[in-house]
Amino acid sequence: MDELFQHFLNAIILGGTYALLGIGLTLIFGIMRVVNFTHGELYAFGAYCMYALVMIFHVNFFLALALAMAMGILMGAALEMLLLNRLRGADIDTTMLVMIGAWIVMQNMEQFIWSGVALSINSPFPANPLVLGPLSVSWNRVYVFIIALALIGATYYLVNRTRLGKAMRATFQDRDTAALMGIRIDRIHTATFALGSGLAAAAGALLGPVFVVTPTMGDLAASKAFAIVILGGLGNITGATLGGFILAFVEELGAGYISSGYRDAMGFLLIILILLMRPTGLFAQKERIG
Amino acid sequence: MATAVFLTGFVVTGAYAQETIKIGVTQPLTGAFAASGNYVAQGAKIAEEEINQAGGVLGKKIQLITEDNKSNPTEAVSTVEKLITKDKVPVLIGAWSSTLTLAVMPKLEEYKVPMIVETSSSGKITTSGNPYIFRISPTSAMEAKAFQPLVKKMGIKKASFLYTNNDFGIGSANEYSNMLKTNGATVGVMETMDPKATDFSAQLAKIKASGSDTLFVTTAVEQLTLILKQAKEQQVKVRIISCGGSNSPDQLIEQAGDAANGSYHTAFFPPWFPEVTKNPEVSKRYMAEWKKRGHNVGGLTEGFRGFDGVYVAVAGIKAAGKAEPEAIRAALWGVTVKGIYGDIHFNKEGPAGKESGQNVPVVYLVTITNGKVVKTSF
Amino acid sequence: MSRYFGWLLVAFLASVPLWMHDFYFLHVLITTGIFIIAAMSLNLLLGYTGQLSLGHVAFFGIGAYTSALVSLGFQIHVLPDFTIGLAPKPAWFAMLAAVAVAGLTGYAIGKLSFRVRGAYFVIVSISFAEVVRLVAVNWVELTQGPMALNNIPVLRLGAGPLELSFLRKPEFYLLVLAVAVVCYVVIARLVNSRAGRAMIALRENESLATSVGIDVTHYLVLATVVSAAIAGVAGALYAHYIRIVDPDIFLFIYTVTMVIMVITGGKGTLAGPIVGGALFGFVPEILRAMEIEPELQWVVYGVLMILVVYFLPRGIVPAIGGYFSGQKSGGTAEAATTAAEPVQK
Repeated sequence: MDELFQHFLNAIILGGTYALLGIGLTLIFGIMRVVNFTHGELYAFGAYCMYALVMIFHVNFFLALALAMAMGILMGAALEMLLLNRLRGADIDTTMLVMIGAWIVMQNMEQFIWSGVALSINSPFPANPLVLGPLSVSWNRVYVFIIALALIGATYYLVNRTRLGKAMRATFQDRDTAALMGIRIDRIHTATFALGSGLAAAAGALLGPVFVVTPTMGDLAASKAFAIVILGGLGNITGATLGGFILAFVEELGAGYISSGYRDAMGFLLIILILLMRPTGLFAQKERIG
Repeated sequence: MATAVFLTGFVVTGAYAQETIKIGVTQPLTGAFAASGNYVAQGAKIAEEEINQAGGVLGKKIQLITEDNKSNPTEAVSTVEKLITKDKVPVLIGAWSSTLTLAVMPKLEEYKVPMIVETSSSGKITTSGNPYIFRISPTSAMEAKAFQPLVKKMGIKKASFLYTNNDFGIGSANEYSNMLKTNGATVGVMETMDPKATDFSAQLAKIKASGSDTLFVTTAVEQLTLILKQAKEQQVKVRIISCGGSNSPDQLIEQAGDAANGSYHTAFFPPWFPEVTKNPEVSKRYMAEWKKRGHNVGGLTEGFRGFDGVYVAVAGIKAAGKAEPEAIRAALWGVTVKGIYGDIHFNKEGPAGKESGQNVPVVYLVTITNGKVVKTSF
Repeated sequence: MSRYFGWLLVAFLASVPLWMHDFYFLHVLITTGIFIIAAMSLNLLLGYTGQLSLGHVAFFGIGAYTSALVSLGFQIHVLPDFTIGLAPKPAWFAMLAAVAVAGLTGYAIGKLSFRVRGAYFVIVSISFAEVVRLVAVNWVELTQGPMALNNIPVLRLGAGPLELSFLRKPEFYLLVLAVAVVCYVVIARLVNSRAGRAMIALRENESLATSVGIDVTHYLVLATVVSAAIAGVAGALYAHYIRIVDPDIFLFIYTVTMVIMVITGGKGTLAGPIVGGALFGFVPEILRAMEIEPELQWVVYGVLMILVVYFLPRGIVPAIGGYFSGQKSGGTAEAATTAAEPVQK
């Protein structure tokens, strides 16, 4: 029974970060319809920024998180303006290929600069875990969970309750009308991509100290993010949040009780099952495409 | 396409200047295994320069030609093709992981060029009937065998396993679990993990619930760091022993901190007390040069493989008397090299008539106490 | 003139082993050729039916594994006491089996996946490939998992004194060339037939196609079966050339390579994958010969990709075709926009 509760606790904590990854991508993939292969790289970028800030420049741990996220936003904006802007009307696979190129460049630059050796980031939290009876969880992860929830809440607020958010939703529902209404389409595209990338960078900055930082760390994160986006429905932030938790639970319990070898496959199997039964994902309100 | 023909033709003509004896090295310099591949390449370079300063071999200097196999079997084959057909190397060192090494083996047979296997642990490499393979690293079976006497000494009654789901981890877990069973211990749970995974909470919870007193972990240092940290976070109070030799205890101490204390690690080279190695002068020389070049200390436990590999290749060339693949192959059977792996020599292994060469290296067990690596008291 | 251009090119390529004695170059041609065949098959799905399948390497890998397993023989336990086994069969038979099995898998996956479209389809295709990879890793009894299937036999045709053995490079190169030509012809025939026109119709506007009575799912599945079968042949060739198969054959980077070849070359054109394949098959080798840092080689590769797509968004072949017809080359954003509008991808 203890084991079960421990699995539950692990899943809840993990779900928070998964949700963060998923929301960032659902904005980009779901709303902008860009198959964003650089999402994982922004995650890694956030982690490397955190490493540089904390370990080399000795910036305060908490301030460094904010800075890393800001850098992620800037990087996302740069990518959008440099690469995606010109391809605005092109096919989904053309933009995808550009994103693949950017992915290859970013990942190899990271290895070139930092080498492939894993780096660890010191956190100010005690090494001993928080013990709740027979269960235990590290302080670092609790912090990550809290911040993740805060960021999710902030994003929700931004997209649903602010003018910028409204402009975003309008742009992607009907671009021409939005333009007619005076919305600066270019800026909205940049802002959306930047926001999604910033969230990915934040997730990386949060998890960097929990795990280790390597150039390939983004690949696994990205594949989970794509899974979550599908689970939750393209463009659906609430769905992505719930999707993140569902994926975490399925992974933990699946690995715990079915087979640990297939742990990372759980997400994919889940997607296949759900899409076969409910082609729009669990929570999507939009129609099936095509 | 014409440009490609022209450019590749360009490179061919460069291969005719036979002032140096070339040795081919294929390692993963980018991709998933880049960290280790680069360490091995660095170690090889140290040996190259040492040998050249001492006058080279057969009156000529050696030249290492290192190619990146991108942690990818198809690329590994391409690197070997290029090294053999374009650079005309008479001997190779490579390819780091077992799958990469297995991938290039058919090419070795096709072109009849020997290769020194410096890291791979899969038994298949030496039992597939390929007479061009000479392995200096130990197999998982050898490692497990060396561990045998420690089972009783450490008081291991019930052990669980956590290993990566690839030939490295599976081979190691199988050998060790069989060894344990024949030595009076029972096996708890055998948990796998994806080589790229970073979260092991599910597996650790199961291991905690299994009631084992010991956990054998086989993976590379990145995952090992995370496992140590997470085991502490989840209060999984078992004795952790890491196998496979890719565990870099220095890096563990630096990154896992307190969580690394009390853990045990098998090593094929203990840089913390080089005096216990079979050839301490060699070990110390290598370490001094490594540090002089400012390489990461955590890489000492991988770099020495490249170092030894080059020395063995050169010994083969010297014994053969000429830089020809067939002569080197025949000569390797008779060489003994005082290396960091120990006194390196090759025994026959595999199907009769087509045996591969296998060295029997020394295996050490170390432990981490108070942030330092010390010898075990067994 | 352009009718005979193709056959002239084939004749030229077939003569390569006669004057090119650089075995490494032949090796590059062979591996590039195998990936071009796979890229051509992906083009059928991606270019002609407009479905972005990112799981294509699954068919490639299934073809490779099937060919390897049939030529090595295997035995598995279906029930604790009951085994199914197959004695080793000749390589040519194994390769045909690979085509069949890959095609069948294409049928199954096609039928399941085409309940969804667009972005969802992309993810489903990736998911399938990942699940297939994990089965290959974990079903050790059948596939040997990560311990790999090695010592795969060489392809031999004929018997006795007439035996043709495909171990040496020149013979294998000609084999790859022959298979590539056959696949090209198959695809060309398909694309120019009624079925092909139906596929293009549904790519341009699916709802319109349905409204004129085209059974969209039927054609999508047909495209997937043919595409999978050809990818399976590429996989089988790979298995008998490299002669070792392990779950790394499902590496995502292989799918990425195929996608790069198709899109930079020009999706939806017959020559596109060949041009894109030749370019991005040779570029890594040229970079390798230039002896710059390995990471930077990748960076140059990535930058080159971005540049090609940036300046020639529809691909190289359409750009060249447009140039020769005297029109402005490349698709401007506007033109692409108006073309893309009706299709809600």
